[in-house]
Amino acid sequence: MIDEASRLEADALAAIAQARDHAELERIRTLYLGRRDGLVSGLLRGLGRMSPEDRPAAGAAANALKVAVAGALKRRSVEIEPSAALARPAVDLTLPPRRRWRGSVHPVSRAIADIWAIFRSLGFTRVRGPEVDTEWYNFVALNTPLDHPAADEQDTLYLASGMLLRSHTSPVQIRTMEEYAPPIRIIAPGMVYRRDTYDATHTPAFAQIEGLVVDESATFVDLKATLAEFVRRFWGPAAQVRFRPSFFPFTEPSAELDVKRVLEHSDGRREETGWLEILGAGMVDPAVLENVGYDPERYTGWAFGMGAARVALLRHGVADLRTFYENDMRFLAQFA
Amino acid sequence: MKVSYRWVRDLAPGLELTTSEAAELLAARGAPVEEAIDLGTGLGDLVVGKVLEVGPHPGADRLLLCQVLGPEGPVPVVCGAPNVQAGMHYPFAAVGAAIPGGIRIGRRKIRGVYSEGMLCSERELGLGEDHDGVMALSGELAPGEPLAAALGLDDTRLDIEVTPNRGDLLSHIGIARELHPSGQSSLRLPPFPGDTGLDGVSTARAGDSCESAGVRVSIEDPELCPRYMAAVVRGVAVGPSPRWLADRLRAAGARPICNVVDATNYVMLELGQPLHAFDLSALGGGSIAAGPARYGESIATLDGEARSLREGMLVIRDSERPVAVAGVIGGIDTQVSASTVDILLECALFGPAGVRATRKRLGISTDASYRFERGVDPTITETAIRRAAALVLAVAGGEIDGAVVDVNPSPWLAPTVALRPSRVGRVLGVGFALAEISELLAPLGYKVEPGDADQLEVSVPGHRSYDTLREVDLIEEVARMRGYDTFPDELSRFVPGPVPDHPLFALEDAIRAALVAEGLSEAQTPALASPEHGDVPLRNPMTREESFLRRDRLSGLLGHLERNLARGVRDVRLFEIGTAFAAAAGEGAAPRESARVAVAMTGRTAPLHWSGAADAFDLFDAARVLDLIGREAYDGARLVPAPVGSAPPAYLPDRCLALVAGEGDPVGWGGEIDPVALDLPRWAGVVVGAEVELPESPSARPAVAVREVPAHPASERDFAFAFPADVPAGAVIDAARQAAGELLEALEVFDLYEGSDLPEGTRSLAIRLRFQSLERTLTEREVRDACRRVLGRVKEETGVEPRG
Repeated sequence: MIDEASRLEADALAAIAQARDHAELERIRTLYLGRRDGLVSGLLRGLGRMSPEDRPAAGAAANALKVAVAGALKRRSVEIEPSAALARPAVDLTLPPRRRWRGSVHPVSRAIADIWAIFRSLGFTRVRGPEVDTEWYNFVALNTPLDHPAADEQDTLYLASGMLLRSHTSPVQIRTMEEYAPPIRIIAPGMVYRRDTYDATHTPAFAQIEGLVVDESATFVDLKATLAEFVRRFWGPAAQVRFRPSFFPFTEPSAELDVKRVLEHSDGRREETGWLEILGAGMVDPAVLENVGYDPERYTGWAFGMGAARVALLRHGVADLRTFYENDMRFLAQFA
Repeated sequence: MKVSYRWVRDLAPGLELTTSEAAELLAARGAPVEEAIDLGTGLGDLVVGKVLEVGPHPGADRLLLCQVLGPEGPVPVVCGAPNVQAGMHYPFAAVGAAIPGGIRIGRRKIRGVYSEGMLCSERELGLGEDHDGVMALSGELAPGEPLAAALGLDDTRLDIEVTPNRGDLLSHIGIARELHPSGQSSLRLPPFPGDTGLDGVSTARAGDSCESAGVRVSIEDPELCPRYMAAVVRGVAVGPSPRWLADRLRAAGARPICNVVDATNYVMLELGQPLHAFDLSALGGGSIAAGPARYGESIATLDGEARSLREGMLVIRDSERPVAVAGVIGGIDTQVSASTVDILLECALFGPAGVRATRKRLGISTDASYRFERGVDPTITETAIRRAAALVLAVAGGEIDGAVVDVNPSPWLAPTVALRPSRVGRVLGVGFALAEISELLAPLGYKVEPGDADQLEVSVPGHRSYDTLREVDLIEEVARMRGYDTFPDELSRFVPGPVPDHPLFALEDAIRAALVAEGLSEAQTPALASPEHGDVPLRNPMTREESFLRRDRLSGLLGHLERNLARGVRDVRLFEIGTAFAAAAGEGAAPRESARVAVAMTGRTAPLHWSGAADAFDLFDAARVLDLIGREAYDGARLVPAPVGSAPPAYLPDRCLALVAGEGDPVGWGGEIDPVALDLPRWAGVVVGAEVELPESPSARPAVAVREVPAHPASERDFAFAFPADVPAGAVIDAARQAAGELLEALEVFDLYEGSDLPEGTRSLAIRLRFQSLERTLTEREVRDACRRVLGRVKEETGVEPRG
């Protein structure tokens, strides 16, 4: 039976190779693959009379034969008349493809999204707060007395009612702690406002991202480790991190974090930047925890904040912050 | 804070750090150096030259020929300066030396005589404006020594960023303390030239009032002025400061004024204690007191301003009137002038909050107020007044009359703070031994003693007594002195918190992604706007253009669309997600904030392509985007034509759609923007826009309830309806949809025709109905029945019949 199959295959392939037109090919197809009287079909029908042991091998051979003959018929058919495809009109494949407009995410939004993605994987959730807030939430609850020079550093915009435009996202810390009990593990992206005029490094409104962790075992080492991890993920494993003491009324100890990046230029050249200041951080001041009714002996916390536009500025090598707010299509479209 | 690094080193013998090492250490301690300026820049080649002889130039009447002794033997130098004298020292550039500005001095023949170098003026060296003659040098000088060293310019000025909690760093001694490895204990005040000390002068101490040298000194408000010291110096000669003093001040970035004032400024820069010198003859009534200003008083201050004082502001007064705003600025009537002979030196302690309130109210900030606001060391007062008085004597002459007066109602006691080493470890995450804590704190002047149980009693030095009053403040000092970089950065396990991710963020992300997929670019525009665009005014705006909070987001976006067109960008597709502000509901209430998505588009719907021109954006593109945002943001949102009179003013009222979700007001609008309100170039086409208010707290989307996919073939039927203009297409479509019943799988409007072959005012709408059943192939009869129902219902509801 298997011999029979290979003989039929040889005959069929020889016949197909010599066929000159479609009619002849069709005759060959009927002779071998015809449903009723075809030789291959007959072979397959013969399987039923075989012993169960021989049947699988024989069946496989018969099927292989069928596939081989059908394939050869198809190939020979194209050889005889290669045209079925080429008879269509020629198309110039070098013409440009049909395009749609490509949209783009604003570089500052993109920075926020990428920062969020990292902190999300570190167990943080996002919270929001109002942009118009009170002196209590913006200053006093954050251990910043209004008669302290630190309140000057963020020259604040006020409404007639005495409320203010938050000068940082830190009020969200207070609102979150008022509503929830520890453990707290949040970030708060949002717009903040300062009484600044537009220049290369200042705008009166800008996006900030705040982070807060409060737990029974939050330490300075956690703060440092988490932020260093963030920096390596955001700026690449080659980025170096430097922590140095600083001052914020709502954290103690306070720190500022500098990053030294390695820039890879398109010509393969590597360049190390200077230390770039990217965020402020610190252990939550016990007075802040007390203000929201947390027991500072039981809980410790750490917090950080950074300007998303500054991150975007450093990331894309933009010299002037105002570039981000001109909203020129030719600038924005580069982020498609 | 600008400091001369040389001055810092003079105060801290044994401080060996280079300036760059010092800058690094300061950064690591929390006071980064913003700029380090080499003061001797450009003077590297210049030396001190001694003029041995001066003679006439043989070939020119107005030139002199000098013999100058420099680094080598005497050389001839031609000089044009009239002031040059034999025996004097001058800055000298020998052959081969470069002067600031880069000019290199060569051997040059001038009127037949070789000149082998140049004597320089102040201006040529960039040290001053004087160009009338060469710069005479004084003091002990050796010919050939580097000029920078001779002028005290072999120095670096460090501009240090000092945070508001570090008033202790607003002095050279504070910087020296921070930098010297053994800190406080190694500091000293070196004598200055002519320092005789004040050893013979006693101090008269009193609780509230004390008289000496005919002047009664008193404190009326010990809260605002805890301590007031004074000294009378008689017979001073006011004039310019000696070179060393002027150079020192300049090196620290200060401007020399006159010897007496410079002496007080010197001590302030050195010790951080502001001082003031009054012209004693101008003080009335032989008394001086620190007390509150009275109703209606005013003072003309040193800066030439007449300032009215508020009742209760702390002032210094003589028997009649205020003569200084305490800790802020002196009065012009009592200032030291060229004719001053007797002075009263003030060296006092003023409380931070009072000085801050006063100077804010007066709208000024001075070197003195800056320091008092941040806290002046209460233990340095006496040292400072004695040093200042000695310095006045040294540079302006005169003598101390009587005793130094010290009015000190409640002498300062060092606060003690309990510090638990266990707590240090708890906060910092690293354990510390007791001895280690002591070693870290001692250089800053803290005294650490063992206390009760497992805690330390830490006595806080005066210069840190404003900032470190709690255990946690000391913990920061421990961390700072150990160095933040020495802490490990090992991630530890964390527990997720109970705070949910705010659902509005996820909605914003989804809308952002959808609009980007539509080909729009995200913009960011400021929420501050001109009065026309807002309802919530700011109390202290910077400009009129930024004086209100924006009531919507579309207006800002349209402004940026205009700007793009003005720059010749013809295809603009912008969107923005941001906050809009509505006026507060009541007095003192917060304005209502809402998250908005706005869209503004103009130009072509797709880039040009060889296969055919793209359409221009129109109303129905705005409708598409409005619909898309509505679907993301609200369950069951739908578009309806804006009811008459309801369209926001930005839109053409008859080209505006409302987005409706449930009952109540529309949640969004979209349509064609009224071009009258826009500033557009002539070539600009239709501008469309949309804006949607997002729900405050969007509910999670329900899981998709999957419908079975039909396996049986569908039947399609097309109909054309001709109907009058006053019948809305929507009515025909809705009627058809309702009548078709559950067998209707899809309804598509595929043509709208308004041709001349139709009766006047008539349109033809082509609709394709697609019927399909999940159970079976529909019979011809079922489809026919459905179509009959459709036509019947459309006629019934709108009077419209299908065309032929």
